[in-house]
Amino acid sequence: MRPTGIWFSSYAAEARILETRRARAWLGLLSAGLVCLPLLTGPWLLGEMTNLFITMIAVCGLYVTVGMAGQINIAQSAFVGVGAFTAAKLSGLGAPIWAVIPAAALITGAVSVLFALPAARVKGFYLALTTLAAQVMFPIVILALPMSWLGGLVGLPVSPPSLFGIGLGTPSGLYFLGLAFAVLAVWTTYNLPRSRVGRAFRAVHDNDSVAGVMGIPVTRIKIAAFFAGALYAGVAGAILAYLLQFVTVSSFTLFASVWYLGMLIVGGLHSPLGPVLGVIFVTLVQEGLHSAGNAILQSGSGLGGGEVFAASSVVLGLCILAALIFEPRGLAHLWTQTMTAFRLWPFPRN
Amino acid sequence: MAATGAAILEARDLGLRFGAVEALKDVSVRFAAGHVHAMIGPNGAGKSSLLNCLSGFYHPWTGAIMFEGRDISALRPPDRARIGIGRTFQGIQTYPSMTARENILTGFHAMMKGGVFSGLFRTPATVRQEEAFTARAEEIIDFLELEEDRHRVVGDMSYGLRKRVDLGRALALQPKVLVMDEPMAGMSPEEKGDLARFTLDIRDRYGIPVILVEHDMDVVMDISDRVTVLEFGRVIAEGTPDQIRGNDRVIAAYLGDGATGGEAA
Repeated sequence: MRPTGIWFSSYAAEARILETRRARAWLGLLSAGLVCLPLLTGPWLLGEMTNLFITMIAVCGLYVTVGMAGQINIAQSAFVGVGAFTAAKLSGLGAPIWAVIPAAALITGAVSVLFALPAARVKGFYLALTTLAAQVMFPIVILALPMSWLGGLVGLPVSPPSLFGIGLGTPSGLYFLGLAFAVLAVWTTYNLPRSRVGRAFRAVHDNDSVAGVMGIPVTRIKIAAFFAGALYAGVAGAILAYLLQFVTVSSFTLFASVWYLGMLIVGGLHSPLGPVLGVIFVTLVQEGLHSAGNAILQSGSGLGGGEVFAASSVVLGLCILAALIFEPRGLAHLWTQTMTAFRLWPFPRN
Repeated sequence: MAATGAAILEARDLGLRFGAVEALKDVSVRFAAGHVHAMIGPNGAGKSSLLNCLSGFYHPWTGAIMFEGRDISALRPPDRARIGIGRTFQGIQTYPSMTARENILTGFHAMMKGGVFSGLFRTPATVRQEEAFTARAEEIIDFLELEEDRHRVVGDMSYGLRKRVDLGRALALQPKVLVMDEPMAGMSPEEKGDLARFTLDIRDRYGIPVILVEHDMDVVMDISDRVTVLEFGRVIAEGTPDQIRGNDRVIAAYLGDGATGGEAA
């Protein structure tokens, strides 16, 4: 719902992401805060933030495939892996960062199309199983390839990134790299629903049999949805490769894929705000529990590491469960509801 | 647009079987340009089978479907939509998570350009195209009086409004003929009145002939130029509403043999 007194004189103005001057001011403030962060804090928080940005990019891609087009994908972590290995290989060959990241995105997109071809013919649980196969095959294929190609079990080293002679391998350099691409990811995620292909994704999600009759090529759109989602995964993988400085198959697990999905569902499947809020919420809870666990261990309460780890996993699970029970449509929906209530106050929300 | 009276869509000697059931037998109907043409008949008469043959969901065993003088029997449903056979659906078949305007915009898919990358980066060409097609969608919104609801999510709308959005999406495809499957079913009298008005406006303002299957006899007799009556998969009568009203076979089909007089309703 919009506040009163907001009106538009063109359709382009109406389609803007940020409609009001106040919203733009808030975003400006947030950007200024994020840009100044490296001046105010140490490498630990910067590393955490970079990780958060990378996860956000991957989950934005998942929002495109799963949230918009309704094509369940539990192989996003494998696609991130494809991006990471591509980046490692290309950087090893001496490719500069401005070539590595787009190339990683496109190659990951191409790989996802291989899996989307059969996936476009099946739905629901069967599709879930097909993408699960992609996730399971990823390490098998990497390990089966000759060592000289992708490093096999050992993995591949990544040369530190630099742009125009400025080294980006420092914590703040990687932070800005992650921030720039997270902003790009969120911006493009907001763009997609306002476009021809984005509406086709959602039409296929809502009613694919009718979409076909109404002139939307359903199979091609489903494949495009995997491709678009995998572009994000490729970018996330490339930045992760630069952050880790060494990629191995063990970093890209089914567990991570399920976490990506969990973050998307907690955040909300039906709004581009969903991946943003979901990633922030789950990461905050995870990190909060992590530091709480450390504090308990060091307080001399006599509890062992195993017990604390188990307890923090249970609490994390409970937090996610609570989010889903109290707002099954996700935090993004909660956000819209709150804003509506705030704008209508003191009148009740109907 | 062809002159009023020339056939735009034609079913020739259609035959269709489901196991032992003969759904259609030697059905020939000419749908003329400029007409609202209704198909009526008791349950199981073959009205929906005929409709599904026209839009390509069923393939008739014998006979042919002719569109603008060309045999289109082999075309699949999406291709028939592309060449100009628009349709609305029985029940609710809109996209529930999208707004009314977005639903209508999906109808322009084949006319618009741009793939994943232009969508992701919202290129200037995308913005211009979005503006142009939003304006066209707004014309349909204006025509169907959906202004108040353009930004409402269709899943939250009443049944009658959703049917209107469905109609708007079909109009966005710029059909040369519009096929409507039981458009009035489940509507309130006010909603039926609105939809009847829109149907006539589609014929007169847009010049699109309408083919409809409908059970509400008052509506059919009010708005149709021609009526075809089916029974047990055969055409038993065709004519103007007045001719159909007085037809003995139609009265017998609706009221049972032996009944005479009364209205075919």
